[in-house]
Amino acid sequence: MKRYILIAVAFILSATACNKELDILPQQSVAEESALSSDANVKKVLNGAYDAIGSGSLLGGDMQLFSELFAANGEIRWEGTYNQPREVWNKAILTTNSFVNSMWLEAYSAINISNNILSAIDVVNENDRDRVRGEAHFIRGLMYFELVKLFAKPYSAGNVSSNLGLPIVLEPTRAINEASYVPRSTVEQTYTQILSDLSQAETLLPETNSVYAQKVAAAAMLSRVYLQMADYEGARDAADRAISYGRQTIVTPYAKAFNSSRILETDNASASPEDIFRIMVSSQDGSNSMHLYWSITKYGARAGDVSVLQKHLDLYDPADKRLALFYAGAGNTVGSGPIRNGKWRYNYSNLPVVRLAEMYLTRAEANFRLGTSVGATPLQDVNYIREKHAELPPLAALDLDDILLERKLELAHEGQGIHDAKRLKLTVDGFAFDANELVLPIPEREINASNKIIIQNEGY
Amino acid sequence: MRKLKLLLTTVLFLCCQFLWSQSRSVTGKVSDATGAPVSGVSVVVKGTSTGTVTSADGNYSLNVPASATTLVFSSLGFETREMDISGPLVNVTLNTAETSSLDEVVIVGYGTKIKKDLTGNIAQIKGSEVANTPVANFNQALQGRAAGVFVEANNGKVGEGVKIRIRGSGSISAANSPLYVVDGIPINEGAISGSALTDINLNDIESFDILKDASAAAIYGSRAANGVVLITTKKGKSGKTQVNVNAQYGFNKPTNNREFLNAAEYVELFTEAAINSDLIDGIDPRTPGNYAGSWLEYVEKRFTRYAGHSDWRNNETDTDWESLAYNDNSATKILDLSASGGNDKTRFFASGSYSDQEGILINNAFQRMSGRLNLEHDATHRLKIGMNMGLSRTVANRVTLDNGFQTPLQMVALAPITPVRDLDGNLYNTPTTTYYNGLFEIDEVKRSSTSFRNLGNLFLNYNLVKGLVFKSELGLDIQNQNDDYYGSPLSLTGAGINGYGLSEWYRGTNYNTNNYFNYATNIKDRHDVDATLGMAFQKYSSQSAWVEGQDFPVDDLNRLASAGEITGGSSSASESSFLSYFLRTNYKFDDKYLLSLSGRIDGSSRFGKDNRYGFFPAVSAGWIISQESFLANSDVLSFLKLRGSWGITGNAEGFGNFSQLGLWGAAKYNNASGLIPTQLANPELKWEKSEQTDIGLDFGFFNNRLSGEIDYYVRNTRDLIYNVPVPGTSGFSTQLVNIGAMKNKGYEFVLNSENIRGRDFKWSSSFNLSFNENKVVSLDGDQTLIPGNDGRYMNSLIVGEAIGVFYGPKYAGVDPANGDALWFLDDGKTTTNDYNDAGDFVIGNPNPDWIGGLNNTLSYKGIELSFLFQGVWGNQIQNGAGGFMSTGADWFDNQTRDQLGRWQKPGDITDIPQARFYYSNGTGASSRYVYDGSYIRLKSLNLGYNLPKSVTDKLKISTARIYVMGVNLLTFTDYEGWDPEVNTDYRAGNRNQGADFYSAPQIKSVTFGLNLGF
Repeated sequence: MKRYILIAVAFILSATACNKELDILPQQSVAEESALSSDANVKKVLNGAYDAIGSGSLLGGDMQLFSELFAANGEIRWEGTYNQPREVWNKAILTTNSFVNSMWLEAYSAINISNNILSAIDVVNENDRDRVRGEAHFIRGLMYFELVKLFAKPYSAGNVSSNLGLPIVLEPTRAINEASYVPRSTVEQTYTQILSDLSQAETLLPETNSVYAQKVAAAAMLSRVYLQMADYEGARDAADRAISYGRQTIVTPYAKAFNSSRILETDNASASPEDIFRIMVSSQDGSNSMHLYWSITKYGARAGDVSVLQKHLDLYDPADKRLALFYAGAGNTVGSGPIRNGKWRYNYSNLPVVRLAEMYLTRAEANFRLGTSVGATPLQDVNYIREKHAELPPLAALDLDDILLERKLELAHEGQGIHDAKRLKLTVDGFAFDANELVLPIPEREINASNKIIIQNEGY
Repeated sequence: MRKLKLLLTTVLFLCCQFLWSQSRSVTGKVSDATGAPVSGVSVVVKGTSTGTVTSADGNYSLNVPASATTLVFSSLGFETREMDISGPLVNVTLNTAETSSLDEVVIVGYGTKIKKDLTGNIAQIKGSEVANTPVANFNQALQGRAAGVFVEANNGKVGEGVKIRIRGSGSISAANSPLYVVDGIPINEGAISGSALTDINLNDIESFDILKDASAAAIYGSRAANGVVLITTKKGKSGKTQVNVNAQYGFNKPTNNREFLNAAEYVELFTEAAINSDLIDGIDPRTPGNYAGSWLEYVEKRFTRYAGHSDWRNNETDTDWESLAYNDNSATKILDLSASGGNDKTRFFASGSYSDQEGILINNAFQRMSGRLNLEHDATHRLKIGMNMGLSRTVANRVTLDNGFQTPLQMVALAPITPVRDLDGNLYNTPTTTYYNGLFEIDEVKRSSTSFRNLGNLFLNYNLVKGLVFKSELGLDIQNQNDDYYGSPLSLTGAGINGYGLSEWYRGTNYNTNNYFNYATNIKDRHDVDATLGMAFQKYSSQSAWVEGQDFPVDDLNRLASAGEITGGSSSASESSFLSYFLRTNYKFDDKYLLSLSGRIDGSSRFGKDNRYGFFPAVSAGWIISQESFLANSDVLSFLKLRGSWGITGNAEGFGNFSQLGLWGAAKYNNASGLIPTQLANPELKWEKSEQTDIGLDFGFFNNRLSGEIDYYVRNTRDLIYNVPVPGTSGFSTQLVNIGAMKNKGYEFVLNSENIRGRDFKWSSSFNLSFNENKVVSLDGDQTLIPGNDGRYMNSLIVGEAIGVFYGPKYAGVDPANGDALWFLDDGKTTTNDYNDAGDFVIGNPNPDWIGGLNNTLSYKGIELSFLFQGVWGNQIQNGAGGFMSTGADWFDNQTRDQLGRWQKPGDITDIPQARFYYSNGTGASSRYVYDGSYIRLKSLNLGYNLPKSVTDKLKISTARIYVMGVNLLTFTDYEGWDPEVNTDYRAGNRNQGADFYSAPQIKSVTFGLNLGF
């Protein structure tokens, strides 16, 4: 009898001892509550937000790429095998385009991270609180701005109080409920939110902040927002502030403004002296899909998906030193093949989002349009860039077209293409500046997942 | 207690004394029909328990009471024989038993059962039926052999995973493959690459018992919704040690080649396409002055680039890139050694095996060395202990997934005008080749995946009292895998960074203990009762790590120690556990009426505290009608059983270990760490539940020479675990929740027949056919459609349709007036040439309606021939690469030959649109690229010859067999692609089925073998 009792006891013991073995926690993730529980953690979340906006689908390249493909106008050609960018280049975009889908999802993921930071701002050390809050507002405003330019009719198309903007979400998501189904606001409401976020950011941010957003970054972004809204006073003043913060300098030769990397530079803060705001890229983290598509296999990119056509090169004065950046290459070969833009030549290079040179040209354009000379005269500003970058003799006089051409060449293939074309009401590839074809579709996935509360853009 | 013992001993002693005084001795030898001694035969005095067993030489010696008149000789596999005790020497010859499959023992969870007493549905496949099949993954040997078991290899790469669906797909996001249990232990299936199942040597397997219905599977509770495959390894039998040697050598070829344009056709089609595109732009490039800037100029410049050192205008080069993707000398080598035997107390089976199979693709091979030792020892008359231990080492040279430029068959996209090498003998690469030249992978890339696997268990059986046995098993399954990769500066991965290296490590451990009681008794000869009660605990853990680097000094130094820069690295770990209690009782009355009840309670770490435990009951009943008096004397009908079962099983696999939690994970920016939200919490997450009803009829005619089974089943799965799309504005794209329901219903027919049972000539057939209909019953709330058209594939989820149906534009052919591709609008009648306006339709179903197999075995004297036809009907395949390879020269990819039938001038009636370079005429995903995927295949053919005894005796061996075995020798299909057994590996999943994307055709092989027994 004894042995039955022994076996039965062993059996029951083994069974009950196992019960607590069912409590297992993950080792690579932490729970929501602890992620936002301390000063250190919230700051880690902030670094995570920069990682999010640096994704290849966002300012890590696709947003800039799409802007340039939209604005191709016979000056560049998409030659790669990927259909998704090709659809943008062709202005015939499917609502299922997976690049567009990722862009939308990841931008809102970055917005959600910013909202999380703002919701937990009270646990941040008082000394750093303004900075952290400013950075969160900067990131959120920046994402809404980049999205509204691509997914909505341009501000210049008018009807801003009826044209659809973006769904505006300002609270972090903890669960999916009715509040998660947010309809699109108007273009005007979206711009109001962007101005609010970026203005707060400029107020709250410190003047220096390593490679992260500083006052100057917010001011530079604000100048772009005002320019889109054709608010030239706002644009002029913001650009002037950006210049007068004095954090960046214009370098010669022009090539030094690009392909900066941490490996070449020891001081992170001046990886490229012209970058007002950049996405940090290294072999360890970050992605640069401008490099991936514009460069060639020899430099660790694809075979050369975007080529620059003669029509673009013909725009330059033959003596313009900025031409030196272009090179011929395909696959593993350099020296022959289609023309490439050397701004995106090398692997693991930081990706400039906004450079100081743009501020001079924005100030020049706005001053010119307003007949003012805040900071400097338009001629002084334009000649400064010509001298330092194009290395051309100064102009004696100039008109608006001169300023706009200078801007186009200076910022070529950096992601401003379609945004400038739209605000200047230009026609590209036969499409009017406010054509449906120049606006990305809201991803089909999003229309369905939102139970169609999010309305599709016209023409899709 | 002591008093009782003393009393018993005394009584026993007295009895023996009594018997001794009254007994006499009988000796003899037991032989089989050939005269060979038979060991282990039970010899019992009829009507008593006095008896012994024969020794290794077949001899026995027994003291029998004076009153004894008859001895009973019985042994498994032989007919029982009774002999009169005519004198002190009784020799006997036993005939081989003519067993019908109804008498066979099948393995059920935590026990065994005689097939005719089953009330659930279990398909058994014997190891001997599939022995020596030259496949790396044992699942491939099961194809076509069991009703309701659908087997599909993704492609013809060697040593990869194989899809198995038992009675259809039950889940959208969780696992759909069965639970694999080896000698009682559920095994690991994780791996960093390849399939963990390839670690097991097919020739070590005694039987596969596939638990299909809920009553059979429910004893595995939350793990069993997709069926259970019980694998039993070979065990030794007492008697003479038998040594077996098997050697095989064979050749492998692709089942099919698919042809592409040659150089002249390529130039012709692309030139035409460029001119057509220019004409659309309003210029004729052939007019002088129009050439510059034209598409024609662009295309011809590319021709010059692609033609390298040769001249494309005179077809100087005509490269057949497809043929270069194959290894023309692909061979298979297999050597197996095994020994088994033992004595009354200890039995063993030991084996060693080496197998080396080269794939049909370049750079693809799989090697396995394995050993096994299975031991069993009767320590006392109550206690049996033992172990089963398998060890293996596999080395795989894998090729990349089908969507990688490096996968060999993507070379078909390269232009036929491109020479393979330049004038210096170096391989051409981009920009001369259109894409990466896959031939660089041969010399410029090193890839190997090495796995060590230790799969074993210890067990003890203790007879407590008559009929009551306590069993305890402790299993341990350890996997170690290391994948190493190096790409030189000339390879795709190493270009621009001076070489790229990656090393990945993975360790999976799983320990499991089962402790249970089996009780069986017979009451008054009419009531058979047995019961099983026990518990099980299982814990899985996995650790993995990887490191990558770049900039290598020379190609010979390709370990990461030599990397100039380590660019990345990571390590991670995960765990999960299950705690279970189970009970099963079977009752049989009068050998006619069967009843079985079972229940299992499972707890798992994968679910939130509120839903941590689940209960999985099953009930089944059977009625052996042929035992009733009104049928008992039928000459024709020898067996008839009606059975029915109902039960609930669960599914807890395939969606991660921590899906119930709200999680934040690590991010990295500016060389500093960060945190980002990765998952929304769902504390209510629970098991998928599958409720299955099965009604079956088992029958046997003519003394069971013709027997079979018919089953009808309905399987309803609810609380499907699904990643529901949520508004992206929330910051998340999906959330894992329990939604929706799915239904599978179907029929299964099994027929086994001994057609001819002559003295020399024998012919038997077995046939199985099954029909399954899968239907998505509901999705999230009112949602009826989750469309899947991503531009390349169209697998969608639609209420009322099968999982993963193709849903998208329906191709309407070509406008005879202008060559435009046309699609139907929503009305299904009007056509449009604008893809974005096309309506969406269900245009294909990747799930087959019918699957089946027909196996025939014929033997004449020493010659044996068996062949298996296997088929799949009613499914469609979508060529996801259609938008690249069948586009009418839309981009520079070489085109399939059907594109030559393109529209060329008004009035042409064709299905191939006008060739237009870069203007995408009909290249979007649509029914244009959907094909019928039905096929019938001569899956295996095995012709063997057993050398006659006169020869083997001379050679002093007991058996010798030479054979030739063919796999996939013939395929009958209308599918236009490489092979209709396909599902491209890079996206294969529950919903993503039936897709082809440069997927390698299956392997057709012929192997020659020699099998010797000593």
